Order: sequence, then C-alpha cells, then structure tokens
Amino acid sequence: MSTGSPQLLVALVGNPNAGKTTLFNSLTGQNQKVGNYSGVTVSRKSGEFRTPHGVKVELIDLPGCYSLEPQSADEKVTHDVLCGEQDEQAKPDLTICVVDASALERHLHLALEVIALGHPVVLALNMVDLAEAQGIHLDPTILSEELGVPIVPIQANKHKGLIELKQALGTPLPRPASPKWNTRGNADERQQQRTKFIKEICNEAARREDDGTLTLTDRLDSFLLAPVTGWITLIAVMYAVFWTIFSLSSYPMDFIEGSFASLGDWVASAMPEGDLNDLLVEGIIGGLSGTLVFLPQIVILFFFIALMEASGYMARAAILMDRVMNLVGLSGKSFLPLLSSHACAIPGVMATRTIDSAKERLITILIAPWMSCSARLPVYTLLITMLLPLASSFTQAMVMLAVYFTGIITALIAARILKGRIAEDETPSHFMLELPPYRLPQPGYLARHIVDRAYAFLKRAGSIILALCIILWALETYPKPAEDSPAAENASLALEQSYMGQIGHVIEPVFKPLGYDWRTSTAVVMSFAAREVFKSSLQVTYNVSEELDEGQADTLLHEKLAKATWPDGSKIYTPATLLSLLVFFIYALQCLPTSAVVARETNSYKWAIGQLVGMSAFAYVAALVVFQVASIFLK
Amino acid sequence: MKFFRSKQQASACDKMTLSQARPGRLFRVKALEGTCCSRLRQMGFCEAMEVRKLSDGQNMLCTLCGTKLALNRKLADQILVTPA
Repeated sequence: MSTGSPQLLVALVGNPNAGKTTLFNSLTGQNQKVGNYSGVTVSRKSGEFRTPHGVKVELIDLPGCYSLEPQSADEKVTHDVLCGEQDEQAKPDLTICVVDASALERHLHLALEVIALGHPVVLALNMVDLAEAQGIHLDPTILSEELGVPIVPIQANKHKGLIELKQALGTPLPRPASPKWNTRGNADERQQQRTKFIKEICNEAARREDDGTLTLTDRLDSFLLAPVTGWITLIAVMYAVFWTIFSLSSYPMDFIEGSFASLGDWVASAMPEGDLNDLLVEGIIGGLSGTLVFLPQIVILFFFIALMEASGYMARAAILMDRVMNLVGLSGKSFLPLLSSHACAIPGVMATRTIDSAKERLITILIAPWMSCSARLPVYTLLITMLLPLASSFTQAMVMLAVYFTGIITALIAARILKGRIAEDETPSHFMLELPPYRLPQPGYLARHIVDRAYAFLKRAGSIILALCIILWALETYPKPAEDSPAAENASLALEQSYMGQIGHVIEPVFKPLGYDWRTSTAVVMSFAAREVFKSSLQVTYNVSEELDEGQADTLLHEKLAKATWPDGSKIYTPATLLSLLVFFIYALQCLPTSAVVARETNSYKWAIGQLVGMSAFAYVAALVVFQVASIFLK
Repeated sequence: MKFFRSKQQASACDKMTLSQARPGRLFRVKALEGTCCSRLRQMGFCEAMEVRKLSDGQNMLCTLCGTKLALNRKLADQILVTPA
C-alpha cells in the first residue's frame, strides 16, 4: 500500500472531542507517521489510505481547535496548514471537517470558518447515532444544501459510513462552496453572522426536542442529586457494593478453594513422588489458589464500577462527593479515580487524566494507592479471619469496612497536608462535569468489560504470580538437605536451611519489632512484587509444619498459621501481630506496576520513588507503633 | 435579530451571571469574563448559546446544547447571561 506517492492531500480538522482522532485511526489503520511541524513542537500526524476509486490519499490530522482565529500553538498550525502558510507543508487539496452531530450548534462554528476559506470541503457528520438518541432530527440533505458542501453521516467509532466518506473524496473534487452567510466585517461581526446562520440551519436540519419539559433524567436527578435523598442513595449504593463483595462472593470463593484443594490432592496421589510432584502441588497449585480465589471479588467490584459508569450514576456520585473532596482540596473529579483504585490502583491512576488541575491530579495519584485495592483483599480476609476466628461474618465485614476506612481517611488527611506543599496551578480550574443521560447499561458492554478485567487478572496470575510462586517454591526447596543430615528427616529444619530460610533469617531482625517471624517477613518482602503473593508465600512456607501429620496436610492456611509458634513456644500470630500486619498492608505500596504507572503519568521518577519510599516507610512505622502498643494492651 | 438589539441596550440586568440567574429558566450566554473563559468555551459556553439553568447550589445544573452539565459556582460567576 505504500508504493507510489499520494495523489491527494487531505486535511482533517474538527473541534476537540468531535471524534477526529477516532476517524483518523479508522481511515488510516496502521499506516501512520508522527512527526513535528518545523519551528513548533506540535506533532504532525499523517497516514495513508486509498479511496474506492483507487486514488491514494495522504491524510493529515490537524490539532483539534474551536476556531481558526488562533489562540494556542495547536490552533495556529491548523490555521496555517489550511491556508497553505505552514512551511514545508503543501496546501491540502481537500479538507474533511468532522463535527459532532449531537452538538452541531457548537461544532458548526469551525466548519463555517473552514468553508469560508474557499477550499473544497467535505463535512463528516460524526456520532449520528448519539444525536438521534438525544432526540435530534438530522437532515443531511438540507444541511448539505445550506452549507454547499457534501455531507457524509458517519459513526467513526463503529466504522460506519467510512466507505461513503472515502467515496466523497473521489475525483473530481467537490467544488468550493459559496457561503450563504455574510462573511464580511471584523472578527466579532463575522462570529455573530455565523451564530445567526447556524441557528437558522439547526432549526431546519437538526431539530432538537427541547421544549423545557423535564426528561426522565431530569426527574431522576432531582431525586438523586438532592441533598438528603442523594446522600442516602449514594451511601446505600456504596454499602450494597461492598456488602456484595464481601458476603455474596464467599460462595464462588469456597468453591474455587475447594476445587484447588481436591485438584492438589488428586495430583499428589496420581503422580510419582518427587520434585515435580512437589512443585505442582505445593508451588503451583497451592500458590495459585491463594490468588485465584479472589477472582469473584474482583469481578464483582469491576461489575459495579462498570454498572455505575454505564448507567450514568458515576457522574452524579462525583457531584455529591465534590463537597467532601473540597474539604481536603480535591474536587469531585477525583472520586472516580479513587473509587477505581479500590479495584486496582493502576486504572485509578490512569483515570486521573480527566482532572483539569495539575495539582489536584498529582495529589490524587499520590494518595490513590491508599485505597485498599482488590489485591489486598486476600491478605485482609486471611488476617481478619485469624484475628476474630469466632466472630460472625457481620462483625468480620465491619472490621473489613474499618480497615478500608482507615486507608481512605489517612489518604484524605494526606491530601490535605499535600495541598499546601504542592505548587499551585497557573490558572485556577473549577469543577465542571458533563452529566450523561441515565441509560440502561447494555449487558454486552458490561460482559465485555468484566471479561476483560477477569482476563487481565488471570493473565497476571498466570504470568507474574505463577513465576513468583515457582521462585518461592524453589527458594524453599533448595538446597536439599544431604541424605544423612538431621534436616532430611525434619521438614521444618530443611526449610530453615533452604535459601528462603537463609534470606528470611537475614531480614527477620528488620521485621521482628513489628512482630513478624522469618516466614512472615519473607512473605512481606515477596509481596512488594505483588501483594497477592503474601498469601501464596505463607501457603508455601507454612505447608511444612511440625505439628501437622499427613492427614492434616490440606487444612486451611489460617488454621496452620494459628498454630505457628516462636522457638520459645509462644504464638507468632497474636492479635498484636495480626493488627500490625493489617496496618502494614493498608499503607505499604507493594505494587511495582503501580509505581511504573505513576512514573509514567506524573512524567517523573521523583514522585514515583518518593511515593514508594514514603508510603512503605509510613507503613513500617505505623505497623511498629501498632504492634508495640497492642502488645501492651492485648496481653 | 432580537438578540442583537438586546446586546446594544445596556441596562442593569445586563450584568447578571449564571449563578445569579433563577433556576428553571432559559438564558442566553452574553459574554464570558474571567480566568476560565477558554475552558468554558471548550465545554460549549460560547456567546449566544442558549442555556437552561436547572438548579442552584454549590454545583449548579444546567443544560446546554442538549448536554447536561454540573458547574461550580465560581465558573458560573464568569458567565454573563440575559433571559432568552
């Protein structure tokens, strides 16, 4: 496709959010080049495709702008290219102007300016489906007659109308239109003339059904955004989400845990004894079950987030939360990133891109990891079950809630402290948010979203976590004790002599003040690669325990841990140790992928490393204080 | 042409901002004043656009060009409107 030089040079212009880039991508596919315009640091994106007539087209994607009267560097480039004044850039033969059909009144301004330049123009009427859904009656024929240019209705995101658009570019080129509106006078007068003309044609060609009656969305909003009922609804929704995550998910989780246990038993008995058997049963099946068992909770959490976004409720929640966020110097825009962070900090950090204020965005990124992500759930569940073994599931859920709120409240306090320490924005920005109409979420969209998330989780479990499980297993198995040494008979002695035992004993002094033995310390260190590994690591190391005989080999991990003792016979997992571990996991930033994303999004290693070190140091100190204080009171 | 005449007739109510405007009515954006003009234009608050104010409060609701928006008071202060 790249043979021969292009026969037609086409420029693509449009307002930001008109779907210009989507159209560019769907027209050119993979044939794209990114460069720079000489003298300015505005990127020049171009691509190639062929029309159905076989004409080879070079398409340049111009920066999105609202007007040809340039204000920013981006807008100046658009103006100069269209007028043929840009150096080293031939004047385009034809311009495709992309407009959002659902907001014609806003987008036609630029289109009229482009048409008035007197070049051949094709108008791509994008998002026609959205406009019709909003009750706008579009009439492309009238629009085309009034504007004097060919009009092609398209849906760039669904690749609809692209063939027709390519056909419209075919030779001969459409003739330049003679504007039906007044194009004389100074800039202000021209703008007024355009506004008047746009109003006229929109009345005819894009009739909007807005007679001031309240839509269903308006009526719902008057309930869901009202001060009292709004808050009651929001709290009820949040409660339902977290209740479902913690109570309903126990059924599939028990099933997964049970399946893995029987799979392990079956493999153990079906295979000859040896290293491979051991690796499969203890390392892989045992390790992975600790992680995979959380798939239901993660799926449920992402399901609710997708449901809130797709139904349009998320924006309302952000508006309600705006007031709370204002108290700590953030706005409602930080709500979605912080809520997403409860599933995983990575999408949370990426979702901060919608925050206008650079300062607010940075603060949100910095505190996001203190929202307890789903990877911490395994650890919390394990620790809380051990902390309150006899308590009802309701009490356990309340403790879990308290753990979550500890993270959230500390994060908000941190935001408040950071507020005064981070440089102010150059221009102040204030909260403004588009409220999409309420929609019944499409089951297909929800299903795809959840399957994507579940797949990402399984992929992670199958790659990083599987690899870590194998490494953990190898560290605890090798070096094998010599045949006639005492360790050959005693499994726990063998473990202490393994590489992991050696590493564990080296780092034990660091974590001893927090109440952790060497196995727990190793698990904590390992979990800096991925938090889920904590449970897998304990599963692997505590599998060998002197009190257990063969028949008990598949007892649950928390029962094994409850029996674990220090060399002097006292219990390791006292309430103080468990609290200290809980606190450590709330605060420690044990997730390398998050740090990588933070470095990329803040464009600075300084913030990412500072966040990693700061949070982990805070976690250590907080866990230390909790253990020491709790040891005094819980004796 | 009603709009152009009303623009020339300078009167006291000319200085009404969107935050002072009464909810439930339709208004026309007359001018933008302040630090966030370009941001407001990006969201569609251009001169001569019709905007319906739906509710008051710290974040007020309005519809503009068929889109429903929540707007902070400080932003609404920068939008001068006249009744449409």
